[in-house]
Formats: sequence, C-alpha cells, structure tokens
Amino acid sequence: MDLLKLIHKELRAEILNKEIIITMLSFGLSIIVIISFTSNLSKQIIEAYAPGLFWLMILFVTVLGVHRSYAYEKEFNAIDLILSAPIDRGLIFIAKALSGFIFITLMQALIVFPYFTFLSIDIDVNFFLLILSTLLINLTLMFVSNLISGISMRARISEILFPVLLFPLISPLIIAATNITNSIINQVPYIEWQVWIYLLISILIVFGLSGYALFDFILEE
Amino acid sequence: MFYENKKNLYLLIVAIFLFALNSLNIFYGTPMVPDQHWAQKIFYLHVPSAWVGFLSYFIAMISGFLFLSTKKDKWDITGTACAEIGTLFMSLVLITGPIWATPIWGKPWIWEPRLTTTLILFLTYVGYFMMRSFGGNIERVKKTSAVIAIIAFLNVPIIFFSVQFWSPELQSHPQVEMNQQPTGILIPFLISLFVFSFIFFVMLSYRKYVISINKNLTNNV
Repeated sequence: MDLLKLIHKELRAEILNKEIIITMLSFGLSIIVIISFTSNLSKQIIEAYAPGLFWLMILFVTVLGVHRSYAYEKEFNAIDLILSAPIDRGLIFIAKALSGFIFITLMQALIVFPYFTFLSIDIDVNFFLLILSTLLINLTLMFVSNLISGISMRARISEILFPVLLFPLISPLIIAATNITNSIINQVPYIEWQVWIYLLISILIVFGLSGYALFDFILEE
Repeated sequence: MFYENKKNLYLLIVAIFLFALNSLNIFYGTPMVPDQHWAQKIFYLHVPSAWVGFLSYFIAMISGFLFLSTKKDKWDITGTACAEIGTLFMSLVLITGPIWATPIWGKPWIWEPRLTTTLILFLTYVGYFMMRSFGGNIERVKKTSAVIAIIAFLNVPIIFFSVQFWSPELQSHPQVEMNQQPTGILIPFLISLFVFSFIFFVMLSYRKYVISINKNLTNNV
C-alpha cells in the first residue's frame, strides 16, 4: 500500500509539472540530431552502431531524468518530509525506480520513431521480443541509476558525482542492452543471446536488493 | 610518531628489505621465458599488485558493512585506507598490464576481461574519492562511501562476466594456469605474492594512523 502511495506521489508530481518527461524527451531529440550529424548518415555506421547509440542516448537521458527527480526532492526539502513518514525507506527506493521506469518507457515510446526516422534505419524485427527485452533493460537501468542517484543526491556536487559514479557501474548493463537489441535486430536465435538476459536479471537482483537494504543508510542524516 | 613505536619501525625495515630482495630475485633469480624474455618479469609485479588491489577493495567492502552496522569510526578509517591502497595497486596493474601487453600482444590494450574489470573498478573508486573530497557533510559521506565500497565490489563478477561474453575472442589470458608453471617460476611468484601482501599490511597500518590523526585534527579545528 505504501509503495503504491509513493509511486502515486511521483506520478502526480510529474503529471502536474511534466518536468522530467519533457526534459528527457527534448534532450533525447537533441542527441539524435547530433548523432545524425556526427555519423554523416552513413548507412554502414548507423546500421552497425544503431543499438549502441540508442542505449547511449537513453543513458544520457536517464542521467538527466533521474538526477532531476532527486534534485526536485532536495530543492523543496521534500525528502525530509518523506523520511519523517512511518514507512520503510527501502520502499522509497523501489517507488523511485518504478516511477522512473514508467517515465523512461514513456519517453522511449515517444522517441523511438524519430530515432529510426531521422537516422533512416529500416528494421524488420520481432517487436514483441524487442519491447519485452527493452522493458527489462529499462527496469534494471532504473534500479541501478536510482541507487547511485540516491547516493550522490545530497553531495555538494551531485550533478557531477552522479554520472561519474554511474557510468563505470552501469557498463555491464550497457554491454548487455546493446547486445540484446543488436541480436534482436539481426534476428539472432534466442539461445545465442540468452546469457545477456541472465546477466540483466543478475544486475537487477544485486542492485535491487542492495538498494532496498542500503537506502535506509543512504538517506538517514 | 608512528615510527617511534619500535614495532612499526621494524616492520617498515623488514618491508623495505623484502621488497629489495624480491626485486633482485625477480631480475636475477627467475628464468627467462623463451618467447617473452624480459617482458615476462613484469608478471611477478603485475599479478601480486592485482591480488593486493582486489584484497584491499574486498576489505573496503567488509569495512563498509561493518561501518554501516556498528557506526564505529575505525571501520570508516580502515575502509578509506584500503580504498587508497587498493587504488594505488590497481594503478600499478593498469600501468604494468599494457607495458607487458605491448610486446606480447602487439598493442597495449585489447579489452581483456581481467584488465577491463580492473579499469572499471578503478574508475568507480575515482568516484569514491570524489565523494570523499566533495561530498559535503562528513557523517553522510562516511555512509555513502561505505555503500559505494559495497556495491563496487558486488559488481566485480558482473563486470567480469559481461566483458568476457562481450568479447569472447579476447578472453584467453595468455598466462598458463599457476599450478602448471615450473617451480622456477612458481616459487618466485609465491614469494612476490607474500612480499606484496606484507607491504600491503604495513602500508595499511600506516595509512590508518595518518587518517585517524587527520580526523582528530579536523575534529579539533
């Protein structure tokens, strides 16, 4: 029940000001334009790197969105009010991660068509598999990035510390995400890339449990 | 002051003596491997440095757990000292690895899983030290640093396997398994491993002393 209330709070705040989604979407679009210019629209470059570039864009957008979500709590000292509520602090982490998952998925749904259109990529893939794997990647991405954002939230230079800490820790996830999307686009049989799904699940479990258990220490004064 | 204690002074002298003896043994007492010549000698420094680096980070993780559960400052001091020494030895690994790889592999860096894991761990600890330096409130920084030390080490197997699956053609580290090495190589290697471990414990006790003195000075200002 507490978890649902916390997620509701996050969604309601976003519905009221739409700050995170708009920031992520406009930043994502800008990155697509930059990618188009830097690749010279070379078909070979784009086809070979499209999945990696996509996840790179999502990573940058995640940094912006997740940092904003915590900066918002800091600006209005809202985190102290949440902490004073009689709820399990691990649930705050889960709620942040799940609401972030909703935002990033929504943002991806809006940006995926401009991405393929601007970069002139024709794909003929199993969309069900692509969506399912993307949802799992998004969920894992949000658990990792919310834990790191929680760690850096109250630091003096949180906006710098967050990506500096996040990028090395998230590199296995980016490798897995790129390989999964690449395999689906190239119609590689599932048996050959299932290892990446197992790896993603391992990351989800390690960071999910660590976040749930350690968030109490991260937030306490 | 630290070395006014005779025990510490004797340990330092023994460490310097062992280091000099070990260096001489590596240069003159170990056999030349036919296809590697002098480049192979770096193996006696590279592997023990990696061992000490990972040992330091492992102790930093354990200290992190103990600090969060007991809130005793001595565990924060131990964790910080281990993080510093671990990063120093990981730097040595990242320097000696490419020095060895240049003549053997023909290029300094090929994303070999063990070296890549070391690099990512090293970068995570760069973030750790940024948190220590620019984190703000000292009590909060202690907790967040402990959390970073924990998740950084928990992430090690994930990074290793992700890099191994990412580039399977690069996973064959050209070193033969240690138990298959001839005695002429194995014994000096084990001696080097012991000497590096000894130096680590001498450095650890000194760094713990320096950090605790710094803390006392900061608290008194």
